[in-house]
Amino acid sequence: METFQYAIRKLIGGIPLVLGVTFISFLLMVYFGPDKTYELLGKNPTEEQIAEIRHELGYDKPFLVRYGDYLKQMVTLDFGSSDSTGEPVSKILARTVPISLALITPGFILGNVLGIILALIAAYHRSGFIDKFIMGFAVVGMSISFLIVVIAFQIIFSSSYGLNAFPVRGWNASSFIEYLRYITVPTLSTVFVALGYNTRFYRAVLVEEMTRDHVRTAKAFGTRPGKLLYKNILKNSLIPIITRIMFSIPLVIVSGSLIIESYFGIPGIGKVTFDAITTGDQPVLKAVVGLTAVLFVLTLLLTDILYRVVDPRVSLK
Amino acid sequence: MSAADPTPLLSVKDLVVEFSTRYGPVRAVDNVSFDIYPNETVGIVGESGCGKTVTGLTLLRLIPSPPGRIVQGSITFQGKDLTRLSEKQMQALRGAEISMIFQEPMTALNPVFTVGNQMIDILRRHKGLTRSQARQEAIAMLDRVGIPVPKKRIDEYPHQLSGGMRQRVMIAMALSCDPKLLVADEPTTALDVTTQAQVMEQIVKLQDEFDMSMILVTHDLGVVAESCDRAIVMYCGSIIETAAIGDLFERPRHPYTKGLLQSIPRIREEKLAQLPIIPGMVPDLLHLPDGCRFADRCSRVTDECRRAKPPLETDPLTGRGVACYHPVP
Repeated sequence: METFQYAIRKLIGGIPLVLGVTFISFLLMVYFGPDKTYELLGKNPTEEQIAEIRHELGYDKPFLVRYGDYLKQMVTLDFGSSDSTGEPVSKILARTVPISLALITPGFILGNVLGIILALIAAYHRSGFIDKFIMGFAVVGMSISFLIVVIAFQIIFSSSYGLNAFPVRGWNASSFIEYLRYITVPTLSTVFVALGYNTRFYRAVLVEEMTRDHVRTAKAFGTRPGKLLYKNILKNSLIPIITRIMFSIPLVIVSGSLIIESYFGIPGIGKVTFDAITTGDQPVLKAVVGLTAVLFVLTLLLTDILYRVVDPRVSLK
Repeated sequence: MSAADPTPLLSVKDLVVEFSTRYGPVRAVDNVSFDIYPNETVGIVGESGCGKTVTGLTLLRLIPSPPGRIVQGSITFQGKDLTRLSEKQMQALRGAEISMIFQEPMTALNPVFTVGNQMIDILRRHKGLTRSQARQEAIAMLDRVGIPVPKKRIDEYPHQLSGGMRQRVMIAMALSCDPKLLVADEPTTALDVTTQAQVMEQIVKLQDEFDMSMILVTHDLGVVAESCDRAIVMYCGSIIETAAIGDLFERPRHPYTKGLLQSIPRIREEKLAQLPIIPGMVPDLLHLPDGCRFADRCSRVTDECRRAKPPLETDPLTGRGVACYHPVP
């Protein structure tokens, strides 16, 4: 109950944040954004024709009214139709977002879970051979450009030079087996890259926690090292871990999918966003930017609630 | 004490603990030997950095390693040499046979688990109780250390308790498995003065009830005078004096001990213009002199003191020992 009230309060508190973010994005992308008037007009238009088109597009309305319209679109999820394909934006989102989620979720989860496991192992064997080996591997993952990893993995897994077992590009989720075939290489590439960063970060967090007094206390009372690690140390380290995971969710969904989808030719939200940016497809951009802002606010809220669940010292006031 | 019961519970012999640092090894504990007899309370006294806490931690093999390591010596506890036990055997012993109370009650308890959760873990670990049995035990223990409404307190988190209360929880945890020896590292230093007295009183009372020996590591000579049978004075990693508590306070023999005792402010005596101080500084542990480590600060220093370190000479009859060529008569 307390948590629920806290969530409601946080949601209400998130409203100004959403307004602020949407305002800025509106200002940059719509108000000062691409002007479609002359794209739609022929050569040598008359003043009347220009005014007519501008009226049709709503460019002649006062600033606040236009911002209000944008907010109304956000609330009703009705962003109009794409300029380039004419398809309603809501339909585009309904078609592409699930693909992106299906593509990214396995890699995201694996990258974090494996990262935590490797970090636990490395932290347990701190400064020993296993630690050095894992950290060396992490640095390799971090240092190689994502592009190189993608190309290398495509060659290794999807070409006749390597295993030639998985499709190079495209998307097909008609059956679970097909789905697995198509996500394997993208997932491996993201995990390979993310794992390096994650492992290093999580190991640092765990090692820091290991030097705390309460860990020494637990040791002084005979707690076994395994239990010490997964009970005492891991739970105490969860705040930075949760922060990292939660804050990366919006980034992964938007920009993460953008990169992978364009390399693997997968028709997800990232690809759609990329195309919308390059062609100046305003309705799509409005939807993506606005919804990302909302997603951020929701993630922040969920993060705050999770803090409370993990750490009793966090007050819900 | 030593005359009454000839078998020590704990016997430390020639213990040397070193920490490797960037500038070379530092000897935090240098050739320390002492015995603790059953039911005895021994204070280890000294200023910051003299090796008293490291000595306490070493008894439980809790010094962070690396960089710390036991270079030589033995710690015999109930016939077992703790320096030779495996890590697993040590784990079974910690909290069960030898317990430790730490200085900082604010940070020594885990902030994200309830007091009960932490106590139950220890009870289940060492006594093999079921969860509900352990909970009953834990409540009983909290009651014994003087925590009011233990049934409620057991489900609270450390941050919901006051400093004194937290230290009582630490004590309850430490005593929950009936240890033979309790190492209390500055148990009252972080508490305010009135709470200090209450907590110390509780520890001494429980020590009697639980029939155990205690090593009290502290810099507070007042606490030592009130609660210890015997004291070990350390300086720069070595024991410089050891004596029964009355002897030590009435007739300190080492010039350092004497200086320490003189620098305690006394309320009832007539006001001094300035409290006597021990001149000079503690030598750097990386560059220790060959001779007596107190030589540079000592008023009784001779050439002999600078040539070789005076050994701790113990009178086998009284158990009194002093490491000084020219002790105060």
